[in-house]
Amino acid sequence: MSGASAATHVLVVEDDPHLAAGIMENLRAEGYEVTTASTGEQALEWLATHGCTLIVLDVMLPGIDGFGVCRALRERGDSTPVLFLTARGDPADRVRGLEAGGDDYLAKPFHLQEFLLRVRAIVRRWDWYRSASATAATAVLRFGGNEVDFRAFRARAWNGETQELTEKEAMILKVLAEHGGEIVSREDLLERVWGYDVFPSTRTVDNFILRLRKRFETDPANPRHFLTVWGVGYRFLKEGEP
Amino acid sequence: MKATRVFQLTALALVLVSAVQVGWWLLDQHAYTVEKVQAARATYADQVAAAQALLDAGVSVARVEQLLPSIVVSGGRARLAPQLAQALTTEERRRYNQYAWEGSFFLLALAACMAMIARALRAEARVHEEQEGFLALVSHQFKTPLASLQLSLETLALRAPPPDAARRLIERMLADLARMELMVTQILESARLERGRIELKSEAVQLAGAIALVSTQLEERARLERVALASTIAPDLFVVSDPLALDVVVRNVLENALAAVQGGGSIALSARRANGAVQLEVRDSGVGFAPADSERLFEKFTRLPGGGSRYGTGLGLFIVRRLMELSEGSVSARSDGPGRGATITLAWPAAAPSTAVAPAAAVQTSAAQRSAAVEEPRP
Repeated sequence: MSGASAATHVLVVEDDPHLAAGIMENLRAEGYEVTTASTGEQALEWLATHGCTLIVLDVMLPGIDGFGVCRALRERGDSTPVLFLTARGDPADRVRGLEAGGDDYLAKPFHLQEFLLRVRAIVRRWDWYRSASATAATAVLRFGGNEVDFRAFRARAWNGETQELTEKEAMILKVLAEHGGEIVSREDLLERVWGYDVFPSTRTVDNFILRLRKRFETDPANPRHFLTVWGVGYRFLKEGEP
Repeated sequence: MKATRVFQLTALALVLVSAVQVGWWLLDQHAYTVEKVQAARATYADQVAAAQALLDAGVSVARVEQLLPSIVVSGGRARLAPQLAQALTTEERRRYNQYAWEGSFFLLALAACMAMIARALRAEARVHEEQEGFLALVSHQFKTPLASLQLSLETLALRAPPPDAARRLIERMLADLARMELMVTQILESARLERGRIELKSEAVQLAGAIALVSTQLEERARLERVALASTIAPDLFVVSDPLALDVVVRNVLENALAAVQGGGSIALSARRANGAVQLEVRDSGVGFAPADSERLFEKFTRLPGGGSRYGTGLGLFIVRRLMELSEGSVSARSDGPGRGATITLAWPAAAPSTAVAPAAAVQTSAAQRSAAVEEPRP
């Protein structure tokens, strides 16, 4: 991905021409640069040679579907955020979207304002994440024998294993590291990483913390770096709890 | 639905238990017979031994045979009367035969019951699955134009665009509404067609007239979308069909072709007589499809990569095929590949011009009247 040079470029993958045109016109009116693709294949082909800030991805595409496109992107190490659009709004479908590596999920028909809000939220989060990982000092985090590379979404754990981080894991770690030693509430984490409060529950945050412990704690059952502050949230200790 | 399922599952369980019981009963009867026969053989063996002992002790043959009636003596040796040995063997065989026949009859009957119930359960599961799939697809098909409609309206409200942009949005909304209206009509038509509760008339209809009726109505749209619509049909070609079904078929095929050539192109209609049939070819310069997909096109809600059905409902060609089957005609599609256009070929039985009636509705054909072609028969 070309990173900062594609600061406000959005790829819209939607097979319905009216919807694609409507989304494109509105995003352009908001100052985004927009490219459209009508199939998953087209999108993957374009993304192989171009970068963008956000992908607005329809789920039910002819040929390879939206989930497939997202999975293929993640498999080739492309972490561009994805906002899924789908005609099916059931919870199972949302979970599938998340599992496929999507950042957000909007059911059709949607409100224009809400759509624009979500696009802005994702773009803002990624701007923050990129700028917070921009310098050599902030791009890498070392703690307890672990070394996390925020720009590559990769880490070398204390036991020598290489860990591929998801965007959400990296973002949570970034937020916690920025507030090292301080208590960060679950709500704050949701706000910073997901951007708004309607979609995931605070339980989601707990699950992500469990995953981080499994990756980076020598004894995940007795964590020394990712500490739970009961009833409030979490505290990250770089040096580890004595 | 649920009660039926519970009943079927209970019946299946009962039949299974019965089958196990029959099996157990068979084994039990077999063991009982074996035991009885062995006991009888042992008794007879004892009698033979006793008779031999008496003979060896010097008792007369007559006396021995009198004391033990089931024993005969020949050459100084006692043995079982042949008819008794025979009777025992016969009885043994008779019982085994009886178990084999009765047992297999009951087991067969029970197996048949199980097969029937299992089949009903499977059929029900399939119907359920199809319904679920249908609903999911229908809701998807509706939500897309709905989303587009909402987006256009909210864009108008949010941005107060200049007149030409507003006009474009309004045209888009009208097209979305038309798409939804067509979809409702087609869903009703296909539902009726699937239930098979329709009666089609068999009349001789002039093909050129029927096509002219539809193409006149689509001319304006074709012009707006820069599609050249050309039709060369000889006026003496008559087909046997229900006039309204013919109208629906031609309309759906032309709508489909128009959707495929979005953004400019051509649609050409030609017809000829061949082997007692009249063949109509609708050739378009549109998005085409992979040759391997030529059958899938006629399935419900087929969406092919490259998407000629982008504006369509995914039901048009499904309806066409069902109506053509009911009209004793046929329909097929071919394409040299994506982006290389497509040809739909329709064939109806040819009719003699003398019996002809006026094409479809020389009266108006609104969407509502179109669906009358697949109206259920009145009681």
